[in-house]
Amino acid sequence: MTLLRPLLFSGLLATAASLLGVPSPLQAQEPVEITLKTLTAQMKFELNEIIVSPGAKVKLTFENPDDMPHNIVFCQPGTDVVQLVMKMLEKPEEAMKNNFLPEDPKVWLKSRLLNPHEKQVIEFTAPSKPGNYPYVCSFPGHAATMQGVLRVLGEGPKLQDLKFALYHGDWKNLPDFSTLTPHRTGDVPGNLVQLNFDDYKNQYGLVFTGKLNVPANAEYTFYCASDDGCRITIGDERVLNNDGIHPASLKESKKKLKKGEYPVRIEYFQAAGGAELYVGWKSDAFDTTALSSWTPPNWKKGVEQKTNEFVGLPLEPKDGPIIYRNFIAGTGNRGIGVGFPGGLNFAWSAETMNFSMAWKGAFIDAARHWKNRGGGHQPPAGFDVVRPSDMTPPFAVLDAPETAWPSFVADQPLEGYAWKGYQLDAKGVPTFNYTWKGVEVEDRLESKGDFKSGGTLIRTLTLKGQIPAKAFLLLSQKSKLTPAGKGFAVQGEKLNLAGTNYPNQLLIQAEGATVAGDALLVPARKQIQITYAWPESHPANHAPLAQ
Amino acid sequence: MKAQRLLLSVLLGTLPSTSALLSVARAEAPDPTEAEYYKITTFPTPPGTALEVSSVEFLPDGRVAMGTRRGEVWIASNAQNATNTGVWNPKEMKFEADPAAEAKNSVTYQRFAEGQHEILGLATKDGWLYATNRYEVLRMKDETGAGKATRFETVCDKWGVSGDYHEYSFGSRFDKNGDLWVLACLTGSFSSKTPFRGWALRVKPDGTMVPTCSGVRSPGGVGFDADGEVYYTDNQGPWHGACTLQHLIPGSFQGHPGGNQWYDLAPNMGPRPVEPNDVSRMVIERERVKELVPPAVYMVYGPGKIGNSSTAVVCDLSGGKFGPFAKQLFIPDQSHSNISRVYLETVNGVKQGVVFPFLKGLRSGPIGARMGSDGKFFVGGSDRGWGAKGGQPFAFERVDWTGKVPFEVHEMRAKPDGFELTFTEPVDPVTAGNPASYSAREFTYIYQAKYGSPEVDDVWPKIEKAEVAKDGKSVRLKFDVLTKGHIHELHLDGVRSAKGGAVVHPVAYYTLNEIPGK
Repeated sequence: MTLLRPLLFSGLLATAASLLGVPSPLQAQEPVEITLKTLTAQMKFELNEIIVSPGAKVKLTFENPDDMPHNIVFCQPGTDVVQLVMKMLEKPEEAMKNNFLPEDPKVWLKSRLLNPHEKQVIEFTAPSKPGNYPYVCSFPGHAATMQGVLRVLGEGPKLQDLKFALYHGDWKNLPDFSTLTPHRTGDVPGNLVQLNFDDYKNQYGLVFTGKLNVPANAEYTFYCASDDGCRITIGDERVLNNDGIHPASLKESKKKLKKGEYPVRIEYFQAAGGAELYVGWKSDAFDTTALSSWTPPNWKKGVEQKTNEFVGLPLEPKDGPIIYRNFIAGTGNRGIGVGFPGGLNFAWSAETMNFSMAWKGAFIDAARHWKNRGGGHQPPAGFDVVRPSDMTPPFAVLDAPETAWPSFVADQPLEGYAWKGYQLDAKGVPTFNYTWKGVEVEDRLESKGDFKSGGTLIRTLTLKGQIPAKAFLLLSQKSKLTPAGKGFAVQGEKLNLAGTNYPNQLLIQAEGATVAGDALLVPARKQIQITYAWPESHPANHAPLAQ
Repeated sequence: MKAQRLLLSVLLGTLPSTSALLSVARAEAPDPTEAEYYKITTFPTPPGTALEVSSVEFLPDGRVAMGTRRGEVWIASNAQNATNTGVWNPKEMKFEADPAAEAKNSVTYQRFAEGQHEILGLATKDGWLYATNRYEVLRMKDETGAGKATRFETVCDKWGVSGDYHEYSFGSRFDKNGDLWVLACLTGSFSSKTPFRGWALRVKPDGTMVPTCSGVRSPGGVGFDADGEVYYTDNQGPWHGACTLQHLIPGSFQGHPGGNQWYDLAPNMGPRPVEPNDVSRMVIERERVKELVPPAVYMVYGPGKIGNSSTAVVCDLSGGKFGPFAKQLFIPDQSHSNISRVYLETVNGVKQGVVFPFLKGLRSGPIGARMGSDGKFFVGGSDRGWGAKGGQPFAFERVDWTGKVPFEVHEMRAKPDGFELTFTEPVDPVTAGNPASYSAREFTYIYQAKYGSPEVDDVWPKIEKAEVAKDGKSVRLKFDVLTKGHIHELHLDGVRSAKGGAVVHPVAYYTLNEIPGK
């Protein structure tokens, strides 16, 4: 993954040039180049944070390597991007005519709707007002996960009234300068900490004193890099101490400060060899700001681009289904993920002996489990996750269909059930085996079609043995059920996995399915076939629920 | 020095291959002296995967089956004879074969199964390959003859898992009674969130589970000695001053009380043992906690010593094809990328013994290992999560005896007033008979709930006498003091063989749980 680091010189240069009153040859700015990609079949942008300086010229290369259309829409600070897209979809025909690009005063920049494998270069000038400008893919169904923030960050205050005192001496650590007599003193040009006052290369010390205007009550990060030792004091507080003889490496320290003007003291000494001194600071309200003339190559370390976590080992079914037994978010501790080459996927639980959830697009990213020690629950990599019930056992004997479904308690043995394993057919499709009250159950799911063209999952349960009377199979629970064709449109319970909300809307069709309150049941019999499908392509059906 | 150059390492942090770049510098090369006796062959690994070998077993036809941390099973053919080694390609992150290599000298791989949840144990029986994953023992079989498992049958899934990384489960091969052993790691270092975390469990042939020993902390492997007794390795942490090799006696408590609430679910185990006192000594608590079995051997912790992360338990049943150490145990260490050698004896009914350094320079962090009756020792591993001296993220290797006998202490046995050492070759009676050729120290660890322990309670014994036997193959050392419960560290820097050679590994760490009677 590329970590983008837009250069922030533009703002600096403009300021310097205008102060000096001469046009800088560099003022015909080279634009900041940023590449932003979509992630294949994951409904995500590669970067969910981009930082630029106010008024910067930006050349954005927006690439769509995904197999679905995507766009990017930049909005004003404070915009609820999901609401924005939902508002657009209130008039679906008009939205479709506009390629799902919202006509809204909150939008200040947008791309075209890019077809799969297209790219577009967009040149723009960043807003002059610092702030967080959200961006989103406004194609129906994408906004919940495809979003990020363009942060426009200006520079923070610089030092004022900066003076220096130069000392001579051979030290291994910073001396107590207050007991020494300076060789000479003076004002520091440009109020930037610097070393080359005289031609001394070795064995000298410098004490800088000045003022720093702290703009608000907030936490600030101070940086230094020095060769050799340095020490920074703000007010009465020593914020950084990097004493001793050493090469320059970036040190940082966080301090909460109240708004106001503070005296600043920066002490430095040079023994021999290389001599460098960098001092800088930043806050949430401004970008890393150098207080010295020299800056090390990684001085913007404090402002990392935030990229989507754990992207890196996507498992892609190609020749046949892939099985992934692991900790899966939404499917518990004994999850069995199954991904099909057509981009339809499901997870089954060897704790509840039950189908748990299905999703479209990318199967799963194994990086969390395969790049570290193996802990934690990984959510699906794709999108449109549907989960018709909680973690529950599949079968129960009920006095009446309305009787509450037995619940599952993690780590408690599931009474009446025994997990027996699975076998693979010639295509590599698994059939799960378990027993329930002496009945041997086979549970098999296979995808039909692919996720781009209305694909479905077909589930077949086969029961062998004496099926108890009044036995039911649970199809969905805590859901809003609407008859649709031969089956039911199911609006499942609110579903949030690893911070992402999913619409949780699906179609379930099974012969003999009956509604019992907010549950959908089917009486247990020798063979039960169930079709799971996602709502058809009407954009309104893709709109995510409010977060 | 110029800052730009120094800051390079920080910038490299953004590159995916940093660990590979850095690890090259820290990798420890095979020791030239050791290499005269034992040769390490590092194989190329199959493309498109990370062969993080976490368990090794032989199929009836001799092929090597490997379970991996990624949940795959790979079967290697010709691994006994292959001589072609892999070249590490840091860009592709794998050991690549020499393109000019001849097939007859190379390993070939076949992926037999995938998608399992970390396979830390493999065994074979009746045409099935048994595997232990995080929460179950299953068995798999190829029913179509296409070389891929098609049937995966659950044998036992009666212990818990909660999603914590620590909850590994190590599985054994079949023991002399036909049972499989499962060593279930605690939920974290300290506690057990879900049933039987921190226990040794036996799975009977009918799939029933018998809770067998409590007190397990963080196992690294399980195996048998030449008599079929069962041992596992545990790792330094709470209640473990150092890594250990522990004897699994049914009904025993192995030392970490974090999982003892599950006695409620194990009526066969009798009442819950009394809690060990914190900040005590193993030798003291043994008197209070009657179920407590002391570690048979402390795998003395720290750089330059035995290791930091003991894993597999491998017994040499090759009858001499792996050199002069028949029936001894070989214990790899994931962190030090080495193998140590253990000789055990029974004193007053308690297992105890000695550990010697044996071989350094494996390429990754060894986890799974197995030795054939032909003396071919296969070892593989991964450095994931903890790092390994070997420097590579994963490896599959073979260790062969070159046929040359190293001059080593062969066995070390406790005596009422000292130790008896036997050697692999006759000793020089002058140096071996001189007490000044030896030095010794006795120490122990604090038995405590806190993580780890320093070496404490030092005793500096005087070696009063060193008597060389007439055949020159053994030496009787008389100590002025032996300390029950202490590790007796013995250095033999001055001892020479009859041919004049120094001891290849002139240090031994003997865990003296019991002092034999006169």
